[in-house]
Amino acid sequence: MPSDGRNMVAGKPGRHAAADHLLMCGLVLAMVLPPGSALLAAPNPAYMHQPDAPAAATGAPPAAPRAEVAAPTGDPPMLTIATWGGAYEQAQRAALFEPFTARTGIEIRVAQYDGGLTELRAQHADGEVTWDVVDMTMSDTLTACREGLLRPLPHDDLPPSPDGTPARRDFIAGALTRCGIAHTAYATVIAYDRRAFPGIRPDRVADLFDLERFPGRRALQQAPFGNLEWALHAYGVPTADIYRLLSTRRGLRLALARLADIAEQVVWWQDGATPARLLEQGDVVMATGYNGRFFAAMADRGAPIEILWDGQIQELENWAVTAGSRHLDAAKRFIRWATSTDALTRFARHLPYGPTRRSASRRVSGHIGTGIDMQPHLPTHPFNDRNTIVKDVEWYAWTHDRIRRLFRSWLTEYALGDPALSGGLRLKP
Amino acid sequence: MTDHRHPRGAELNLSLVVTLGAVVGLVVGLLTASFVLAIFALNDWLLISPRARMMFEHRAWLAAAAVAVPTLGGLVVGLLHRFIAEGRPHGPPDVIAAVQTRQGRLPLRPGLLSAVSSLVSLGSGASVGQYGPLVHMGGTLGSVGARLLRAGRSDDNIAIACGVAAAIATAFKAPLAGILFAHEVVLRHFALRAFAPVAAAAIAGYVIEDLVFERPPLFHVAAAEIVHRWEYLVFLAMGAAGALVAAAYMRAVLGAAWLAPRSHIPRVLRPAAAGAVLGTAALWVPDILGIGAETLRFATIAGAIPPPELALILVAKLLATAMCLGFGFSGGLFSPALLIGALFGALCGNAVALVTGGVQATMVVYAVAGMVAVTAPVIGAPMATLLIIFELTGSYTLTTAALASVALANLTSARVFGRSLFDVQLRRRGLDLSAGRSRALLQGERIAPLVQPAPVTLAPDLPIAAAIDTLGRRGRAEGYLVDADGSYRGTVTLAALEARRGQGAAPVLDAAEAERPVVAADSSLWVAVDQARTLTGEALPVVERGGRRLVGVLSEVALSRAHVETLDAVRREEHGGG
Repeated sequence: MPSDGRNMVAGKPGRHAAADHLLMCGLVLAMVLPPGSALLAAPNPAYMHQPDAPAAATGAPPAAPRAEVAAPTGDPPMLTIATWGGAYEQAQRAALFEPFTARTGIEIRVAQYDGGLTELRAQHADGEVTWDVVDMTMSDTLTACREGLLRPLPHDDLPPSPDGTPARRDFIAGALTRCGIAHTAYATVIAYDRRAFPGIRPDRVADLFDLERFPGRRALQQAPFGNLEWALHAYGVPTADIYRLLSTRRGLRLALARLADIAEQVVWWQDGATPARLLEQGDVVMATGYNGRFFAAMADRGAPIEILWDGQIQELENWAVTAGSRHLDAAKRFIRWATSTDALTRFARHLPYGPTRRSASRRVSGHIGTGIDMQPHLPTHPFNDRNTIVKDVEWYAWTHDRIRRLFRSWLTEYALGDPALSGGLRLKP
Repeated sequence: MTDHRHPRGAELNLSLVVTLGAVVGLVVGLLTASFVLAIFALNDWLLISPRARMMFEHRAWLAAAAVAVPTLGGLVVGLLHRFIAEGRPHGPPDVIAAVQTRQGRLPLRPGLLSAVSSLVSLGSGASVGQYGPLVHMGGTLGSVGARLLRAGRSDDNIAIACGVAAAIATAFKAPLAGILFAHEVVLRHFALRAFAPVAAAAIAGYVIEDLVFERPPLFHVAAAEIVHRWEYLVFLAMGAAGALVAAAYMRAVLGAAWLAPRSHIPRVLRPAAAGAVLGTAALWVPDILGIGAETLRFATIAGAIPPPELALILVAKLLATAMCLGFGFSGGLFSPALLIGALFGALCGNAVALVTGGVQATMVVYAVAGMVAVTAPVIGAPMATLLIIFELTGSYTLTTAALASVALANLTSARVFGRSLFDVQLRRRGLDLSAGRSRALLQGERIAPLVQPAPVTLAPDLPIAAAIDTLGRRGRAEGYLVDADGSYRGTVTLAALEARRGQGAAPVLDAAEAERPVVAADSSLWVAVDQARTLTGEALPVVERGGRRLVGVLSEVALSRAHVETLDAVRREEHGGG
């Protein structure tokens, strides 16, 4: 299992949400997520070399501990933070870890992990908890909290926004849980090729399924996630009802029927890099994928891609403190600082993931590197966030295996060939 | 003028009534929202909700749970109802009866027990509604609040209406509908004195719902479109047809209630038996289990359920609900009616699509029109139902369609069945609201406090001359003949005696009036007023029921004053400006 999981590591938060559940449930990942594929995109080359990444801070002299920094017993503690690797880690180093060390003198050691609770559980069982802070998906945070692997975090001492709004009201709904402080929201979205529709443009989920008004091939992920939600949403089912209806045979049948309507025009992708590339090359007119990936193609290569934010599927990413952490105060201080408006704003200038604070969302400015205004690219921007499907992480945790089997057998029935044989990508002749 | 029927409690200061309304609204709002959340939690926990069933790992146990949970839930419900004096849960009819008769005073204990048994019923998947219990719980809490303030009956009634309005406002997130429902169904008048506190309660409930619980709208409809103007004619016709579906539904509920005692199943086990049947049937038609919110949504999607299945679910849900309610589960009528109506509407939509070849896109409009056509007759409240639809869906287009379908629905249903199931149930319990509220009130008032001792009693064998003498001395024009053992033998008037003065030695009984009406001691004011129609003298003799013993007399003056006072109290309550 770990090796499968590792293959999925792709440098972005949240992409392991489903995978973690699969690990947790002891399901077989490889079937639905062959090596190299992921529920989210692979590392984004554009972010691998941030111009102001680690090097920027390395030469800086260690800042003298300031008055606010308590240094009771000699050396400041070394904080170990477990987080996802790749570009995501790079962005965190630049935006969070190094400034924090510079500010407080507390060194940060990064431990890479692939999501899931296996390692944390093992550390907990051995009594040798080496991690202090973990960057976790919402579903993992909830599970770990329930299992006592995490320390409950008070919400009261989170700093207010710069304009004085208390944290509790500044954070978006659902961001503050017992053991976790959510810091970013990432999204799975529908995007289209601007060149394909010169007149009227797609503006709602139903347009993905409308071959009459928007003819042309579509790239969809070869997995149930996203496809089922959007298919049902296209019938007019409100976002809040989607998972309840997908819990019935009738709902699943309806969703698959809508997918079947467009199946002959679908290119199934597995690797998160594929949809942006297919759009860019003009092989498809619409595609589903991860907002960061589409953004990269637009920002770095000028690809004529437009994201259709209607029906974006969001999930939150958390900071949490391990129950066995020996540096509780430093860990809490880091989280307080890393979830402040300034820190969230800075991070979002590296990666277009939505800060969980409303005040931070408003402040995000240009992309570090290209200077593109990041605001309109954030999933949490009010214009983008008007009709959002919140991923039901618990539902996926318990049903993913069955849903995936159903989806695969449906896929076989609709005979787009064996996708495995075509390398996960089948273009209609 | 003393009011003999209000021994305790005075009319409260208006600002106090409004404050009471707001406080009742807050408390009821909190409880209502908690009640709804508790149902969801129980449904998840007990594997009733599709989402919970989907997420449950051990698939083999799902069928067992579907049968066992409603059965065991029914057992608990049956046991709970043993602690209620009537052996049945209380509901909206009790609220209406309390207000309409001004007997008032909804008791706390059966109210609480009914709320708990409804929670168990709904939580364990019985096919019953959640709004009836909430209405009753709200009304009970309002009444309790009024009693704490030692308020009079009118204010008690207003407080009941406040609780009802808050319950609806919170449960549907619909303050306007809450206010209207309380007036249309419970109070049945639109006095300003009642409006202010009821509005305060509805707003309080809405604010609680909005602030504390942050639930999304219950039945959000993104877009609805009426393509052709002639469709309004279809909606009108659907109203009349839907009323027939509603009548069938109500008859089925009454029929099941008639059947239950004849089933030879002990009362305490009846809900469990219904639960077992329901759970077993749900293995084939899962849509009948629980509130059925998912099925309701599917009914609005064109092509989601094929027409034969729509008809099957409609009939199954109708029978399941009738069985659950008739066999003693505790719950309301409204939510199942919504689902039955939506299925009916979807069938109509399919029929229209068959004829015209394609109005399928507007299926949601037909489903909603059907909902209203079936639901409004059941609760007897066309306007409140209309507003509920407006506030639930937030769509004005849908509301106009609903308006067309509700136009004929209540009228048709009243012709073939009755004003509402509540009213018919009450009539079967002896309270007829169809003749208006004043009759119900007069029926509710006893004459006992008005009865006075007979001013002059005469022995039947007293000579006429002596009787004239006695009456003259006492300054009375009427005497009541009572024999040695206290039995009433008749009434004589001074005029009749004077006419027989020539036969002075004859017994006074000879002069007794032939047709003087009498009234039994425990009669209602309504009966006394009716008897007094043929009264030519001063008073009605009052005798003990089933015997002849004279208890006293009811003077015509006292009777007519009580009559006027009762009607006056109604008038004041219904037109009170504060």
